[in-house]
Amino acid sequence: MDLGLAGKKAILVGAARGIGYSVAEVLAREGCDIALTARSEDSVKDAVANLSKYGTKVVGKAVNAKQPEEYKAWIDWAIEALDGVDILVPFTSAGGGMGSEKYWYNAFETDVMGVVRAVEGVIEKMTEQQRGAIVLLGSTSVGEAMGGPQAYNAMKASLITWGKQLALWHGKNGIRVNVVSPGPIEFEGGNWDMIKGTMEKFYASQLRQQPSGRLGRPEEVAKAIAFLASDAASWCNGSHLVVDGGFTNRTHF
Amino acid sequence: MKPHVMGWDRASMDVKRVVDVFRVDPESVGNGTPTERAPDPELGTDIIPAARYYSPEFMKLEWERVWTKVWLLGGRSDDLKEPGDYICTDIGKESVLIVRQADGSIRTFPNLCLHRGNRLRPEGRGNAEKFQCMYHHWTYGLDGKLEHIPDLCTFVQGGPDGMKLTPLPCIEWNSFVWFSLDPNVEPFDDFIDPLKRHLEPYHPERMAWTRDITVEWDCNWKTSVDAFSETYHVQGIHPQLKWYLDDVNVQIDCYGKHNRYLIPFAAISPRVAMPSQIPPAIHEIMVHAGMDPAEYEGRVSDIRRDVQLFKREHGAAQGKDYSELNDEQLTDDYHYTIFPNVSVNVHADDVMLFRQRPHATDPNKMYYDIWMFGLVPEGEEWPERVRHQRFKHGDKTIGQVLDQDAFNLPTVQTGMQSDFFPGLHIGDQELRIRHFHKVLDDYIYTHGKGPDDL
Repeated sequence: MDLGLAGKKAILVGAARGIGYSVAEVLAREGCDIALTARSEDSVKDAVANLSKYGTKVVGKAVNAKQPEEYKAWIDWAIEALDGVDILVPFTSAGGGMGSEKYWYNAFETDVMGVVRAVEGVIEKMTEQQRGAIVLLGSTSVGEAMGGPQAYNAMKASLITWGKQLALWHGKNGIRVNVVSPGPIEFEGGNWDMIKGTMEKFYASQLRQQPSGRLGRPEEVAKAIAFLASDAASWCNGSHLVVDGGFTNRTHF
Repeated sequence: MKPHVMGWDRASMDVKRVVDVFRVDPESVGNGTPTERAPDPELGTDIIPAARYYSPEFMKLEWERVWTKVWLLGGRSDDLKEPGDYICTDIGKESVLIVRQADGSIRTFPNLCLHRGNRLRPEGRGNAEKFQCMYHHWTYGLDGKLEHIPDLCTFVQGGPDGMKLTPLPCIEWNSFVWFSLDPNVEPFDDFIDPLKRHLEPYHPERMAWTRDITVEWDCNWKTSVDAFSETYHVQGIHPQLKWYLDDVNVQIDCYGKHNRYLIPFAAISPRVAMPSQIPPAIHEIMVHAGMDPAEYEGRVSDIRRDVQLFKREHGAAQGKDYSELNDEQLTDDYHYTIFPNVSVNVHADDVMLFRQRPHATDPNKMYYDIWMFGLVPEGEEWPERVRHQRFKHGDKTIGQVLDQDAFNLPTVQTGMQSDFFPGLHIGDQELRIRHFHKVLDDYIYTHGKGPDDL
């Protein structure tokens, strides 16, 4: 099956590591040009250097998604550098945390507004092109217990709702919006890597909940995201795809 | 001179990253704890004979030439507030009474009755007006003088010579009391040198007991000392600490009898990838310092330095006087071995001390005393003295990290006794173990160690 990704232009926010980086790699391998960012200058440089081997155009610059002006300027820069934008996948997240009200503001600023600002930064161009695919990231923790009542889980849930409404609103302009909710994904330097090292029992309990007895790998989510971002998913719009290896219990009717 | 931080090649170890940690300039510490790296002693690469951990002969030599010759840690000064307060502590076959006198001084004497040898008191703490033997009511004053013998007239030879228990050397230093079984022991200042300057800036007298536990461990006392003298085992038995401390950028310093290492805390081990989220244990360090981790905008790799700066700025307002400590000391673990048997982690806000005592008769057993103290901020009420607990190896948890340490020790102790185990094969990261055994050798083999010596 041809995904039709060759020559597409993708903007990836928060893509220097983990699932984000993996999406960049899958898209670059499929022939996409990529503009990526993350907070750390060094990690952006490393990611750009590593992705260059696939022979497409890869550019990157660090940005703080909590600074609206700076962030907007970055999106404009990315659209200009790629000369358009076909795909947007924003991964910005402040991560979990409990016990301080500040976590709500962090999750709002980063998980929600980091995504909202990215979408609003590209929507004009995509409308003008009458073409675009946006994939937002939810989490299996929006629907099931994970680490207690956290701002992260609740804010992630809002993206699923918002993603659907974006799809309904912008569908007429050829813009598709879908949401992918990964289950626990393990990679070096990721949260589950740390949890394996620091909370062995909890980690083991999560493994037991996985039918396959292991956690997911970034590329296993990245490929699902790449599919939804591709022309091969032309009839997928407003969908929410759970990519968790069967981690969640609930039957989705 | 070797690089300040490391004595080994950090890039060739089993690491994911080479990390340069912030260290204070040794010139800047003034009268505080020195941070300068001491030159590594030349201690060779020989194995350390295993038999010294289980041989009754070696145990006997240790008794004769170490335990009865050195200064020993007896307890805390704040357990001896009032005249008559005493600490009764055992070392090997001996037991001593350390007693606060009416004039505020302390005295130490053997815990026994000169009549038939009965112990005057069980191990522990208490207050007494006099020490009366339970057996025949011979009665001693707080100073160890034999004040009353019932029916003295029936002892035709009179009372025992001198009518007093042998006075033993004792001293109070830095909120702790020390004693020696050797009346001719060297001056304490000579013995403890150079650690006074190292440890006094922590002001442990501002700290109160938080834990007081004695566990009878199934290993030799040196098996325990060794276990706390290297960070090489972190990647082995404490995997979770790799998201809490830097076990690679460790500075080792060996002094005359004593040694130390400095471990960066609130840091990520170069053995694992740098996480983007704050690890739980480092989160706790930040909360304890008064920071809100949710407010933290920096990278995980910046936390150690930022905690130092935060504590420097806000310590005084929290009633914590860090003025004599350098910035490293506000996060890091400075860990000292005071020869022969004290392993002490000193931190700005707490002290975690282990006293490792030999068993009286069995080289395969020891007493592991866990003494922990927490800084009492100025203006806060001094907390009630925690109760002493006592149990056997593995009976109860003593916390995740110490449980992990304890778990291996009995199997190390039994494995070492195999005919197929010649001795300990020690690496550079374990230099303190080699140094400790060299000091031990110097005590045991006063005329030089022979080829057949253990």
